[in-house]
Amino acid sequence: MRRWLDTLKTLIWKDLLQEWRGKEILTSMLAFAILSVFIFNYALELDPRQRAELAPGILWVVIMFSGTLGLNRSFSAEQDQGSFDALLLALPSPASLWLAKQITNFLIMLLMMAILLPVYSLLYNQNLFIPGLIAVLIAGAWAFGAAGTLLAGMTVQTRARDLLLPLLLFPVLMPVNMAVVKAGSGFITAAPLDTFQVWIAALVVYGIVMTTISLLVFEYVILE
Amino acid sequence: MSFWNKKLTFLAVFAAVLLLLAFGLVLFYAPVEQNMGIVQKVFYFHVSAAWLGMLAFFVAAVCAGLFLNKADLKADAVAASAVEIGLLFTAIANFTGMLWARPVWNTWWTWDPRLTTMTIMAFTYVAYFLLRRGIDDPTKKARFGAIYLLVGFASVPLTFFSARLLRTIHPTIFGGGMGEMAMTPRMVQTMGFSIFAFTVLFVLLLITRSRLRLLAASLREQERRDDQEEFGEVTHA
Repeated sequence: MRRWLDTLKTLIWKDLLQEWRGKEILTSMLAFAILSVFIFNYALELDPRQRAELAPGILWVVIMFSGTLGLNRSFSAEQDQGSFDALLLALPSPASLWLAKQITNFLIMLLMMAILLPVYSLLYNQNLFIPGLIAVLIAGAWAFGAAGTLLAGMTVQTRARDLLLPLLLFPVLMPVNMAVVKAGSGFITAAPLDTFQVWIAALVVYGIVMTTISLLVFEYVILE
Repeated sequence: MSFWNKKLTFLAVFAAVLLLLAFGLVLFYAPVEQNMGIVQKVFYFHVSAAWLGMLAFFVAAVCAGLFLNKADLKADAVAASAVEIGLLFTAIANFTGMLWARPVWNTWWTWDPRLTTMTIMAFTYVAYFLLRRGIDDPTKKARFGAIYLLVGFASVPLTFFSARLLRTIHPTIFGGGMGEMAMTPRMVQTMGFSIFAFTVLFVLLLITRSRLRLLAASLREQERRDDQEEFGEVTHA
């Protein structure tokens, strides 16, 4: 167990260090996210009365799309340098590689959201620092990665690569989209908790189901 | 392995007779529905097609699990064929549903849980084939396809239950609740029979399509071996 945790830490550290030195993924994700917020402003002509209700939907679409950009890169180093085999030899179990990647993606998404939310609050003069909303977005980011990291591990090995990931990922993310947006607007409009708590449950169930599936089948993704 | 045999001929004739009978029942045996009129008759084949769409998805997921366990390419051939047939019948269900919805709901489309779920399921099917198309190695193609089917299989029911939490206007045939459709015994019999006929058709299509897939794969393998004998080792990029 101790060794397993050490390996996990090393793997996450390796990816975070690589990202820190290149800052390739986070900057692209952020630039994309903030640009999208600007696009939404003009595409939807957001007037102050609608803003509050639309915020969770807009935020989630922006987070999901820019998160997909990040997922597309999460296995590219291993694929390009052919280090999957070496990693497999060094690791106690293939599932630990999935977990490490998932945690790295999750942390990068959290970092992106930590900048996106204040920027959004500032641009729209709307307070987004509602603990419930933030918790929902964080749970959403985990659920997103739980399905996405597994699929990214497969699409990186295909010919179409980046093109394929959103096509595979978005249909299976449907429940997450509905749950995050419903629960998020529940918190933003300060509705009574029992009117939307079922969506929080749905989000948690999805996260658990996809995490379990990913842990179980990831070995078949990197099997040669 | 030969493609066709006597048992399949029997099954094909059986399916054809059943489908003709089902068609006859829908036209002459089932009564015309009081409020919706003649257009309601599309319902018998609509429900049967939707049922096959879901059955196919289930069969594909079971075969996906089998493939990951046993690494038998036969299971993959059945899974891929089931998805193919499922996609066709999901499209039929959506199309017949629209024909019915326009006069009855006064709209071609509504964001109802069943409509949304069936369509999202169709997108998962399409993505499955796009994924397979991007991979050359047959074993890897089968493995990745199987993983995606399992992920899709887990998410489709969740999509359905999530969408169901929002309001629905789709008639509930089983299980009561608002908007329940009252069916006479003749209607129930006709529906049961056409579901049975469609299921037999599904079995026939699944067997023949899977066999065709396996034959095509063995033909490719044979060609590859012939090339190797003629030109030496062939490397695939």
